[in-house]
Amino acid sequence: MSVQAITAQEKRALKTEPMQLILLTAFLFASLYAVLQGSFYRQAQIDTVSSFTAAEEESINDWRDRLIAVENGTTAAEDDRWAGLAMDVAFPATISPGPLSDLSHGVSDVKPATSRVSLWRSVDRLFGNYQFQSPIDTAAGAFDLAFVIIFIMPLLMIALSYDALSEDRELGRLGLLLSQPISLRQLVTARLKIRFGAVAAIVLVASLIGLIAGSGGQDMGVRLSFMGIWLLVAAAYFLLWAAVITWAISLNLKGETTALLLAGLWIINGLVGPASLSAAAESLYPTPSRLAFLSEAREASAAAYKSQADIMQGMLLDHPDLTAENYSIPEYIRTAFLVNKTVDDSVVPILTRFDEVQAERRSFLSKLQFAAPSVLTLQAFNLAAGTNLERHIAFEKSVRDFKQSIAEAVEGKVIAGERLSVAEYDALPRYYHQGPTVGAVLGNVALPVLFLIALATLLGTIARANLGKLQNRIRET
Amino acid sequence: MIKAIIWKELLQYRRDGRILAVLLITLALGFAAAFNGWSMVETQQRERQAAVTSDRTTWDNQGKKNPHSAAHFSRYAFQPTSSLSVFDPGLKDYMGSAIWLEAHYRDPATLRAVEDAVEIQRFARLTPAWILQVFAPLLAILLAFAGIAAERERGTLRQIMSSGVPPRQLFVGKAIAALCIIALLAPSVIAAVALAANTHDEVGLPGTGLRLTGIVIAYVLYIGAFTFAAIGISARVAKSKTALVVLVGFWAASVVFVPRLATDVGSALSPAPAAADFQARMSADASGAFWGGSEEAQARRAAVEAEVLEQYGVDKIEDLPINYDGYLLQESEEFANGVFDRYYDELWGTYETQSDIVRLFSVISPTLALGNISSALAGSDLYAHRHFADRAELFRRDFVKLLNEEMIQKGGQDGYGYMADNDFWQTNPDFTYRPPSLGAVMSNIWIDILVLLAWAIAALQLAFRGVRFSFKQEAMA
Repeated sequence: MSVQAITAQEKRALKTEPMQLILLTAFLFASLYAVLQGSFYRQAQIDTVSSFTAAEEESINDWRDRLIAVENGTTAAEDDRWAGLAMDVAFPATISPGPLSDLSHGVSDVKPATSRVSLWRSVDRLFGNYQFQSPIDTAAGAFDLAFVIIFIMPLLMIALSYDALSEDRELGRLGLLLSQPISLRQLVTARLKIRFGAVAAIVLVASLIGLIAGSGGQDMGVRLSFMGIWLLVAAAYFLLWAAVITWAISLNLKGETTALLLAGLWIINGLVGPASLSAAAESLYPTPSRLAFLSEAREASAAAYKSQADIMQGMLLDHPDLTAENYSIPEYIRTAFLVNKTVDDSVVPILTRFDEVQAERRSFLSKLQFAAPSVLTLQAFNLAAGTNLERHIAFEKSVRDFKQSIAEAVEGKVIAGERLSVAEYDALPRYYHQGPTVGAVLGNVALPVLFLIALATLLGTIARANLGKLQNRIRET
Repeated sequence: MIKAIIWKELLQYRRDGRILAVLLITLALGFAAAFNGWSMVETQQRERQAAVTSDRTTWDNQGKKNPHSAAHFSRYAFQPTSSLSVFDPGLKDYMGSAIWLEAHYRDPATLRAVEDAVEIQRFARLTPAWILQVFAPLLAILLAFAGIAAERERGTLRQIMSSGVPPRQLFVGKAIAALCIIALLAPSVIAAVALAANTHDEVGLPGTGLRLTGIVIAYVLYIGAFTFAAIGISARVAKSKTALVVLVGFWAASVVFVPRLATDVGSALSPAPAAADFQARMSADASGAFWGGSEEAQARRAAVEAEVLEQYGVDKIEDLPINYDGYLLQESEEFANGVFDRYYDELWGTYETQSDIVRLFSVISPTLALGNISSALAGSDLYAHRHFADRAELFRRDFVKLLNEEMIQKGGQDGYGYMADNDFWQTNPDFTYRPPSLGAVMSNIWIDILVLLAWAIAALQLAFRGVRFSFKQEAMA
């Protein structure tokens, strides 16, 4: 029996073996379902961000039009004393959906994507009420392509191939097979190539369908670049599992023992590893209490409200130029500004600590992620998809910084109770969140990908040597 | 004879290093999970207590303030964490832990623990319930997959039959032996319960003892179902290897894939509203429709004015013996409350429909039924959260009314210039919460209980009939 004959037999089995057909068809449907639901998810993200931005821009344009009307004299100043009110300046701040958020939702389903940056809101309330996602859905996690690849793909590969060698041995036909002009390595490789190839083909087809279905009007060039990285990560993970399974087969164990060994590795990789690592990261680097953060903000707010006269006095001592005798706007507006400013300042240490803890956790996991390839792969997928935690934390911090810059720019006008001019308003900064660049993402996933490939190569080499030795042993007997 | 079978099985298990390894790993994970759960719950309870104290202190000492300004600052309702959450935190991390009880608006619960979690936490969470839901059935499969098939493969089934052992005794002996080994996981559960008892549970769940009993029974049924199913499949298939692959496939589908798929389908068929849209619509209907400039809103305010003037028999607002601004504020609250009920009923309805859809999938995954029962009895499910949120909302309405009444009755013609002081704030009540009764909880999970019971009975039938079938097959061979 030649390599070609084995290959032909395997191809035939793919089409005729009921169990293989059922498993591969189920995997195909699971993959297609994942990319299609992902495309709906991404479209919903895009719609949310664009409708929010449109509504906010309409609101701020109305504000600007009223100011223009006063400046042009179309409206008398005393008829619209709120026009140009510096306290009412508000800008939308949004994080655009990650380039491949349809393929790996990451943390994008629990983190805020929009913020109305308004001076009426202290930093603890910048992101408004966004917690309306279903807790049932959030707790279970998404059935996205990342989940399919990380969890289902290896299990399918195991189910299709754990007995690639043991069955022949248990049926007593291995010696007969090896009496043909074919080596054990060639036999195993030929079988696995077809079985794994079918799995890889499904993943590739699903990814390509996902590439088109989930684009949501995004520049296809950009999406393709990130998809290249995505496929690189997927390929490295696939190769690792292919090598692990080949290695397990090369141990020449009983079929059920090989199945148990591989199932055990799958469980450690996909369940025990992530659960233990996340528990360790969260126990070793606990975040500050969110409730304490809330209490701090409220205490600061109440204290600032009570001592607003002192705060105002301090402000005027620092900025005597702001002293205005004839305020045209109610006192409570200035009070609100000062209270929020005090709250913003008071929660800075806690917010800084939050960022530090997250950085410590990332550093911890960046080292230990190599203990569980699923963790490594998930983080690489999220990076490529733009749905990683770091990007969302950076967004939240940049929104807070943006609010600070707006507050500093208009502080004088709010305290003095003066209008902003159109020119001053137009000169105010606008929020822009820079998405991840292909180069940066590639740089971040390079090490994990290299590690996966190196591990796969090592296991593949050991498997190759094992199969060589096994062949010699069989021939000797 | 049953005793002899049990001893023989136990002896065989003791010699199998794989079983010992899985048992020890599961036990170690169970202890780690129990400690991790206790640490989290203890921290949450401590932080909540500190937040409640801080909220009260801040409220009591806010100084001179208009009651309506105070209603905007308002207070928070902090959701308590039940001690049984040490065992099963359920959806707790995915639902907010604090609800702002501000005037004019019904806020969702905020400060979700999942937002501070590491990315990989979405894969798996190290809790005692998770360990038992995921690993106990795996252990059951490992213990029982070869139960009958291996006897047949080794030719010992015929010997057993010839010694006069009836199928029922063989099944009972093997099932008891497997369950005895699984029972060795009990110390980790006992540790979780002991640690739970050691937490500071300020709001005790009614019927904690009965809840705990219910949890134990549910897990026994679940593990029993997997054990019986493993014996049943082992008896039906020709080879133990096939039984292993079928059972591990069923385990992976039931424990890992179907729960994700079910919630995904649930949220696709009954999607939660987009946060920004939900808020905008609710705000427009609750606030805009009363305070806005539309004809409808103006007519609504005019009607309130006419009604109050008639009630007090005066012609002008200035002649009213009450503070009209306060009165109008309270009328707006009464108007908005109906709107909030409508929107939140719709929102909860969406979640509950999702939950019902997920429940349908429990027909193919007993893990879903068990998860529902376990988290409901632990007081950490969606119903527990809704119960808390609804009680908090009722308190919010009473609390805001209390503040408005203060302004109405004592504010006279001062309008918003009326100020209350600490003497008044210190008489204001706290939000007190009593969790739902056990009867109310049970009324929500009776279907899950029936489904789990049906799974256990079906698996029992599968096992018993399977063993009888294997006897017949062997007799005919």
